[in-house]
Amino acid sequence: MKVLEVRSLRKVFPGERSIIALEDVSFEVGKDEFLCIVGPSGCGKSTLLRMVAGIESANGGEILFLGKPISGPNEKITMIFQHFGLLPWKTALENVRLPLEVHGIPNEEARKIAIDYLGKVGLGDFLDTYPHDLSGGMKQRVGIARALAMRPEILLMDEPFSSLDELTASTLRREVLRIWADSNLPTDTFLMVSHNVSEAVFMADRVLIMSPRPGKVVEVVKVDIPRPRTEHARDPKFFDTVEYIIRVIEKACGGKLPGCEINDGIG
Amino acid sequence: MRRMHAFGFVMGLLAILSLYILVISVVHNPEISNLPYYTLRTLARISATYLIALVTGLFFGLLATTKTGSMILIPLFDVLQSIPILGYFPAAIIFFISAFNGAEIGLELAAMLLLYTSMEWAIFFGVVGAVKNIPTNIVEAAKSFDLKGYGYIRHVVLPAIVPSLISGSTLAWGDGWFFMIAAEYITYGGKNYSLPGLGSYLAKAAYVYGDTNLAIVLLIIITILVVYINFLTWHRLTEKAGSGTYKPILRTGWPKGLALSGIRRFTHVPHIPRIHLSFGIRHAILSTPRRGIYSRLEKGMAVVTVIALIFFVATVAKPGIPSLDEIRGSLLIPEMANLPFYTACTLTRLTVAYFISLGIALSMGILAAEKKGFAMIFYPIYDIGQSVPILALFPILFVSLSQIFGGILGLEITSLTMLVADMIWYLFLNIVTAVKTIPDEIREVSQLIGMKGLQRVRHVVLPAIRPAVVTGSMLSWATGWNTVIFSEYMSYGPKVLWLPGLGSFLDKTALQEGNTILLGFLLLIMTALVIALDRLIWRRLLRKAERYAVEVM
Repeated sequence: MKVLEVRSLRKVFPGERSIIALEDVSFEVGKDEFLCIVGPSGCGKSTLLRMVAGIESANGGEILFLGKPISGPNEKITMIFQHFGLLPWKTALENVRLPLEVHGIPNEEARKIAIDYLGKVGLGDFLDTYPHDLSGGMKQRVGIARALAMRPEILLMDEPFSSLDELTASTLRREVLRIWADSNLPTDTFLMVSHNVSEAVFMADRVLIMSPRPGKVVEVVKVDIPRPRTEHARDPKFFDTVEYIIRVIEKACGGKLPGCEINDGIG
Repeated sequence: MRRMHAFGFVMGLLAILSLYILVISVVHNPEISNLPYYTLRTLARISATYLIALVTGLFFGLLATTKTGSMILIPLFDVLQSIPILGYFPAAIIFFISAFNGAEIGLELAAMLLLYTSMEWAIFFGVVGAVKNIPTNIVEAAKSFDLKGYGYIRHVVLPAIVPSLISGSTLAWGDGWFFMIAAEYITYGGKNYSLPGLGSYLAKAAYVYGDTNLAIVLLIIITILVVYINFLTWHRLTEKAGSGTYKPILRTGWPKGLALSGIRRFTHVPHIPRIHLSFGIRHAILSTPRRGIYSRLEKGMAVVTVIALIFFVATVAKPGIPSLDEIRGSLLIPEMANLPFYTACTLTRLTVAYFISLGIALSMGILAAEKKGFAMIFYPIYDIGQSVPILALFPILFVSLSQIFGGILGLEITSLTMLVADMIWYLFLNIVTAVKTIPDEIREVSQLIGMKGLQRVRHVVLPAIRPAVVTGSMLSWATGWNTVIFSEYMSYGPKVLWLPGLGSFLDKTALQEGNTILLGFLLLIMTALVIALDRLIWRRLLRKAERYAVEVM
């Protein structure tokens, strides 16, 4: 079953010299699937994610969520951000509660749900802490709790680990995979943007490779490595897949990498 | 770009020349033919003072970055800048008039001193802040290459302070124009002294000739001159220095083309640095623990120096040091009993004006931030509004309002209007800048969550701009104290009108009775109030607000 269908999407940023950010982008994401979008910086992958989130409009083509076109923010699609996107003047609990309350869930119930999800990400003891006093990894956990508490169908992630140190990132990657596999949670479809190829191969079912501006889909690579991938991160197959994707990006960039911020550090 | 500037320069000059010819030929006034002369005198006065302020600001600023220098100069200048400039102006006039036996040079020096004190702080704190903000890695790199002494100043310090010197100069220059009219038209001991200049001519147009139309024409001329000179100098320099002051302000997802081009196209005044600098000044003092919390010794030294300075200025006009009896005699006058009442009046006036300003600025700022259409209306208003030397509005406003409401009520309304017109810009600009710098991610989150209208304002916009509201409030109060001195007292032809308040008490003492000891005392009280409010309210609020401020990525 297709949860998300993107059809010939086009995005133009108007201006003196208008920029074509996306050109004829089409792909699908199935239920229970983990899709990762990689590509050089400026290829429009974050814009694409925001269009799926309904906070950026298209100039052509359409995006269907469960068969219906997306026209604005949808409570069943939530997002976690590179810089966490937490409101600094609200505690962890208040941050998670806010979207619930905005969507009309009564205060007491919202509070219960928020506490429950903060507990799930291991922050049960930090309910009343302000983001200011949390570490980067903890902040992102609050971000994850906030996104999951809405019980969305699709979770969008915009380079969720790139502002964390490598050890924290590695822990959180596994945690996100655990959440993805958790059948008690309704959130099963994950769409992640990354510029870290190893991370993509480590996490995704399929990796969608985009070309530099104007962003187009160059190739979709199926990652044929059994899970849990922690046990296969040293397999030749893993390295071959990473290597192959980097080659494809290199070719899309015209044979050279400068300016294409490809990070092949091990996830 | 250069050709465009040359074109703008020539066209502007031609436009101004034809405006002058038009005004001189159309307006009927015995002094109108002196208009070009008055313009040149005012320009020369402000420019000369600016140059002195620049050189001394640079000198003291650099001196203040040395270890001993910083211990004395920074607390000292911080306290000095808290003294309402217009408050010690009467004392300066008394000193200079008696020192030069009433000759014009004495007045000229007094006026320049007033202008100087309005200009110096922006430049001084700009330099100190810029030197302090040189990144550690650059300082370390310089050290590792053994760059010392002159070489260090030449290659590291000077280039680093150029942008803030330019924005400090922009501020200083604007303040100079602001105080110009107060400096050129002086009432002392029941007599009017005036220096040839645009400011005094404007005051005379309103008070002596009673010609409101002429006053308005002069106000427009002054505003055009301010805008034109800013376009020629600071705007170009800001661009050249590529100071990047514009860059961090605007992010995507914002009507940026609109806001910025609106501002720049309309008057070509580099406004953004103004706010940044003002913020920077406060930050240089407030945010580092070393400077923010002075040691007891430093504080004590600064206070003693200031008291000594004030008494020196206050007493030097009289021969010798006054005896205790003299002091008692000067201070224990019947009107002294009204001091608490006067203080309450002035505080109330300022508070009322502040809340009116805050209300307007908040709604304007948030509307401008949330809706493109409003931004298109508000920014040009803001632009022109803040280029008008507000003090110059006083005579015009008073003359027209007193005709409607009568003397005292007219003066009260004028006073409040002046205060609001003066206090509102700092708040508005701080608020707009803060709303604009809310990080993209936070905007996206609020969009994604589906917050709208008031919900968004309550949960996102208001908390995000809290530090800016506090900073804007500090600045608006600081300038309010000056305006209150100017606006509670009005000598209008043969009549003298005053509102109960500290400002008018100070004016009466100085201008009518020449009681220098009382003057010094009142000034001390006012300074103490300014400092107390600053420490007890604003710094606390700022510290609180900054704890949960948005971290700019």
